[in-house]
Amino acid sequence: MSTPHVLLGLLAGGSRHGYELKRAHDQRLPRARPLAFGQVYATLGRLERDGLVATAGQDRASGPDRTAYELTGEGRATLDRWLSAVEPPMPYVASTLFAKVVVALLVADVDRARSYLVAQRAAHTARLRELTAVKADPAATLSDVVAADFAIAHLDADLRWLHTTLGRVADWHREVHP
Amino acid sequence: MTQLQARGVVRAYGPTPALRGVTLDVAEGEIVAVTGPSGCGKSTLLHCLAGILRPDAGEVTWRGHRIDTWSEAARSRLRRTEFGVLFQFGQLVAELTAAENVALPLLLAGTGRREARTAALTWLERFGVADLADLRPGEMSGGQQQRCATARALVTEPWVLFADEPTGALDTLTGEQVLTQLVRLAREQRTAVVLVTHEPRIAAYADREIVLRDGLVDHTGLGLDVPLAGGAR
Amino acid sequence: MRPATLVRLALAGNRTDTARVVLTALSALLATLAGLAALTVLAIQKPAGDAWAESEQYRNELLREPGLRGGTAFALLMLAIPVLALAGQCARLGAPARDRRLAALRLAGATPGQVTRLAVLETGLASLLGTIAGLGVYLVGRELLHRPDERGRLALPTDVLPSTGALVAVVLGLPVLAAAATALMLRTVTTSPLGVSRKAVRERGPRPWAGLLIGLGLVSFVAVRPAMDRIDGNDVVRGWVLPLLVLAGGLAAMIGVVIGTGWISHTCGRLLHRHARGAAALLAAGRLMADPWAGSRTFAALLAAVIFGAGAAAQRAYFATQDELEREQNRLAGVDAGTNPFYLSTMDLVDAAVAVAVLIAAGGLLVALVEGIVARRRAYAALIATGVPRSTLSGSVAWQALAPAVPAILLALTIGLLLGRGLFGSVRVSAGGSSTVVCEATAALCDDPATRDQYTRIVQVAGAERVIPVPLEQLAWLGAGALAAVLVTVGVGLLFLRVSTAVDELRTA
Repeated sequence: MSTPHVLLGLLAGGSRHGYELKRAHDQRLPRARPLAFGQVYATLGRLERDGLVATAGQDRASGPDRTAYELTGEGRATLDRWLSAVEPPMPYVASTLFAKVVVALLVADVDRARSYLVAQRAAHTARLRELTAVKADPAATLSDVVAADFAIAHLDADLRWLHTTLGRVADWHREVHP
Repeated sequence: MTQLQARGVVRAYGPTPALRGVTLDVAEGEIVAVTGPSGCGKSTLLHCLAGILRPDAGEVTWRGHRIDTWSEAARSRLRRTEFGVLFQFGQLVAELTAAENVALPLLLAGTGRREARTAALTWLERFGVADLADLRPGEMSGGQQQRCATARALVTEPWVLFADEPTGALDTLTGEQVLTQLVRLAREQRTAVVLVTHEPRIAAYADREIVLRDGLVDHTGLGLDVPLAGGAR
Repeated sequence: MRPATLVRLALAGNRTDTARVVLTALSALLATLAGLAALTVLAIQKPAGDAWAESEQYRNELLREPGLRGGTAFALLMLAIPVLALAGQCARLGAPARDRRLAALRLAGATPGQVTRLAVLETGLASLLGTIAGLGVYLVGRELLHRPDERGRLALPTDVLPSTGALVAVVLGLPVLAAAATALMLRTVTTSPLGVSRKAVRERGPRPWAGLLIGLGLVSFVAVRPAMDRIDGNDVVRGWVLPLLVLAGGLAAMIGVVIGTGWISHTCGRLLHRHARGAAALLAAGRLMADPWAGSRTFAALLAAVIFGAGAAAQRAYFATQDELEREQNRLAGVDAGTNPFYLSTMDLVDAAVAVAVLIAAGGLLVALVEGIVARRRAYAALIATGVPRSTLSGSVAWQALAPAVPAILLALTIGLLLGRGLFGSVRVSAGGSSTVVCEATAALCDDPATRDQYTRIVQVAGAERVIPVPLEQLAWLGAGALAAVLVTVGVGLLFLRVSTAVDELRTA
């Protein structure tokens, strides 16, 4: 998650205070991990150091959390570059899920790997169900739906992988331990 | 309250067994997904539960009455009045308009033409396709057809809706829209749904999931057949 | 494509394809028989002598009189019409499945030419089998039926054989014709490898232009008699132009009735749609309006036979009235005789031919009906699954067949009757006045020229006219027969409906 870029994006509409930025972040990215205030201020500090944001409208009297920030020209250019850059599509297979099955096969037997896969599949399914319930709720906003969709699609992909790997785990074990 | 029950249902096509003793309960207003790999007997189970097929052994009961022993005419009447059936595609009558297709179950139940059309239009409206009322299926897209078919399956406000891969022929977005509407309306009028699918993300709309494997309920798979945490209610 | 591959792919098909091949061969066989029978009649040598010399070796005057043989051959050829209609229906059997298979071959990379060749080969080979079998049946039949009676006369012209060229032309010509027709029908498939696409355009209902054709036919029939009187003596006109006028008029009326059935179907569908209460009628109405031409195609042969039959009934009424009138006048003159019984006995043969035609047409009807049901079996199975009772589906099939059939048959009866009556010019027959010498005494006295005059007197018989009655009874029988044919085929079709709605059909999308 590139929190600095998200904060830059949220400042693109005009200057905001730190707590406003946190609220906007949690509202626009509903299924993301909520930002801690400390993280917001730390990130803003780094951005200010790099000259990407600047304090606007000194209101120090009301305390540090009343400081408003705005984008600098450099900050706008950085945001623009980030938006234009295409994300590399999955350059490495880097997932704890995957690593855990590999290690299970290396240090233990097929059954260990299989029981892990089954348990993980149950957990994934339960999560999928939760997110689907969020989405199917008549009161859900489109932000909720789109965020849930993102997670559901990834869970669905994981589930498919878990499913096919369950079918292949015995052969895979034979390949690892010839 | 359990409404529909299958007890040890066995069914074979010639020498090929499709179901080898499936037991399953469906409660009032409950949404149950039946999943499993291709050829595991999902559709056959749905056909047996809906009284379309007769099991070779075992029994199917509806509110305590064994329906698998009923005559075809009686089961047909049951399907017409208490159940709704929805398939993947191709169930609309090609020569009738959308409104006539949706009105068909009501006409069969003896409702007058005008009244049936009014009800059909209401249901088409609920699925957002009221403007297609006078088009024939050939003049609609797959998604629009499936919305009409869903409206037809729900127009009699059935107790149970049997849906066999209802989104199988649709793209992801259209499929989800149809399914969301289906689930929402089914919950509103407390219609139970037996949803056959091979896709986890479709099954996730259900309250409960039954996994079939080789004609049997696969208890080893997920420890399923129990409500999962964070159920949809 | 190598020939072996071509043949293997042409033979790859399901049960419906086999049925189509068998039925195609069967109709080719029937057409061959009709054609060969006509050719045989034409092959009878005119005996030496004047124009009226009869071929004494036959029992039947239709064969003996040289002037009648042309007509007989023509009538036999006419029998080929329902047979060809049957062949057309057979070609449609399983056509959607075959079109899909051919489209799949196109998708797999076959050229349009290869696909067309495949289908043409199937039809051509099946027809060739049929025509060869037909030739066999003909050759064996003429041996078996060659039984002269005690006076050495034959029931059928089993003593002559058409020329070899004519035989070859029939046996090879029919398959070529069938293959050409197939190639023509496959135009749409060969152009699109995606097969039958969904039909989005809603056709406007047929317009009642058919009325024009019917009117044209009737006018030409009515015009024949006055024209004949007017241009007395012109042999070219009498021998060619007028018969052609009759033929064209008859064809126009027949095509008019057949096309008109499309309009009738659509109108029936519209009326049913507006007033129907039940689901069965609504389903039937939808189908009638969606494809009104199905009725035309299905009932074409039957309606042609009914028109022919009604025309024949009108002629029979004419002959019968004339016979009755002459009999009465002769009785007044003291003689017990009617007109030449030949005409009435010929009408019996015509009626028999009409009955055979109705029977063959019923066969075509059955094939068309079953094809319609089988082609829609998945839709039917889906309806059954949703709880639509079989009786509703049966009802819709029956409505769909009978709603247009009843008015169409009535129309055909009326047109046939009008054509028949038009041809004979008037609604009356008349017999001129005459006087006869009657001798009222014993034979001995009458024979003696001396005593005869005492006993003879001259009886004057006044001229008489009589209105030809409308042969209601015969028309009713004909209509009932045609309707019965429809009903029986609907009944058999419903048996297929039972098979076609098995839930297994849901599995084979």
